[in-house]
Amino acid sequence: MQQWYPDFFDRFGTLTVFDLLEDYLASGRIKVDKTAHPQRALYHDPCNYGRKSRELFGRGYFDQPRRVMDQCLAEWTDSQPSRGNQYCCGGGGGTLLTPFKAPRIHYGRRKIDQIKQARAELVVVPCHSCHGQIKALLAAYEVKGVEVKYLWEVVADALIVES
Amino acid sequence: MATNPPVNEDPVKTAAPRRPGNQAPEMCLACGTCAAGCPLTGQDGFDPRKIVRLVLLEREQELIASDLPWLCTLCGKCEYACPMGINIVNIVRTLRGRVARDKVPGMIHKGVALCRQTGNNLGLPAEDFEFIITDVAEELAAEEEFADFKIAFDKPEANLLHTLHNKLVNTQNEDLVHWWKIFHVAGEDFTIPRENWEGVNWGLFSGDDEAMQLSVGRIVTHMEQLEIQNLMYPE
Ligand code: SF4
Ligand code: SF4
Repeated sequence: MQQWYPDFFDRFGTLTVFDLLEDYLASGRIKVDKTAHPQRALYHDPCNYGRKSRELFGRGYFDQPRRVMDQCLAEWTDSQPSRGNQYCCGGGGGTLLTPFKAPRIHYGRRKIDQIKQARAELVVVPCHSCHGQIKALLAAYEVKGVEVKYLWEVVADALIVES
Repeated sequence: MATNPPVNEDPVKTAAPRRPGNQAPEMCLACGTCAAGCPLTGQDGFDPRKIVRLVLLEREQELIASDLPWLCTLCGKCEYACPMGINIVNIVRTLRGRVARDKVPGMIHKGVALCRQTGNNLGLPAEDFEFIITDVAEELAAEEEFADFKIAFDKPEANLLHTLHNKLVNTQNEDLVHWWKIFHVAGEDFTIPRENWEGVNWGLFSGDDEAMQLSVGRIVTHMEQLEIQNLMYPE
């Protein structure tokens, strides 16, 4: 965007999913109830929002999603390692669109280790590729009883809706 | 339609964009930090340290002809730890860009080509898209809490442009509603494009900069014409 439309940012605003969720929560436009998620949850940093955003835009989205997690989940934990040193799920870079499934599942064994180590019952991700890949990993490694949700799904499911 | 990457005489080691610190790949220490952190090292002979070596030796053809560039997830864990700031991810992406387009594995290039023609990676006509979206929206509106929920396509002067991941439109319709629920409760004035709604730029994966520029340009034009104020970065 910067490269091709350098004046885009002067003419339009841009909002990331994290900006939106945090803004709605902070301004009180939405209210959430963390008892909606009693499970023990784990947050996974997608490469593109964490490490790679930090590299390309000088800003990694590490803290914002964690603040959203704090508000929507009763109990959640970080993985080891996390943030900049987080392991990729193995589904990034378009690998989900290639026929190389065996290497992709092998790649993700580290993610499965992290999920088991955290004794997580719910893995929260703000990325479509991670979501698909982690679900595929749980099935391939026959890990039972672990749910995968999008960060915005967690927010939507914790919404207090006045009808 | 460009089917093959333009012939580029520069070796990958000079053509691959550098990282912000502008360090040359020649500065690689062959320390192996990258290889130690990469979960793929050892799989089918994959090793980021060796990829950097081969590129420095201008033996990139061996890599371009192999599956290795497509096994890497471009995750950047190697680079993040590299003491010399070597541009490993862009080296891999540049290698991908040098692969003949009909040799790009899986759906990536097919999606890029479809998006060029139709504005989305699925090649879905606008009427079908509108039907799917309206159908899911009506289902949501059937729930008491979301009773007056509606989707506005191409709404002029909307506050927020919402693009969609093709997988939600294709097979995972049930995941469309999470953001809609949030928008509804927050009273967000959002709109979805009837055409060019694709939120995922597969040109990023195939190493196709021209395709990426086309997709970004369509979004910009759309926002200009409708005077939409904010772009929600694709999920
Ligand atoms: S970590 Fe950096 S310096 Fe070390 S081998 Fe890898 S690319 Fe070279
Ligand atoms: S970007 Fe590629 S080479 Fe580097 S750690 Fe990730 S998968 Fe390995």
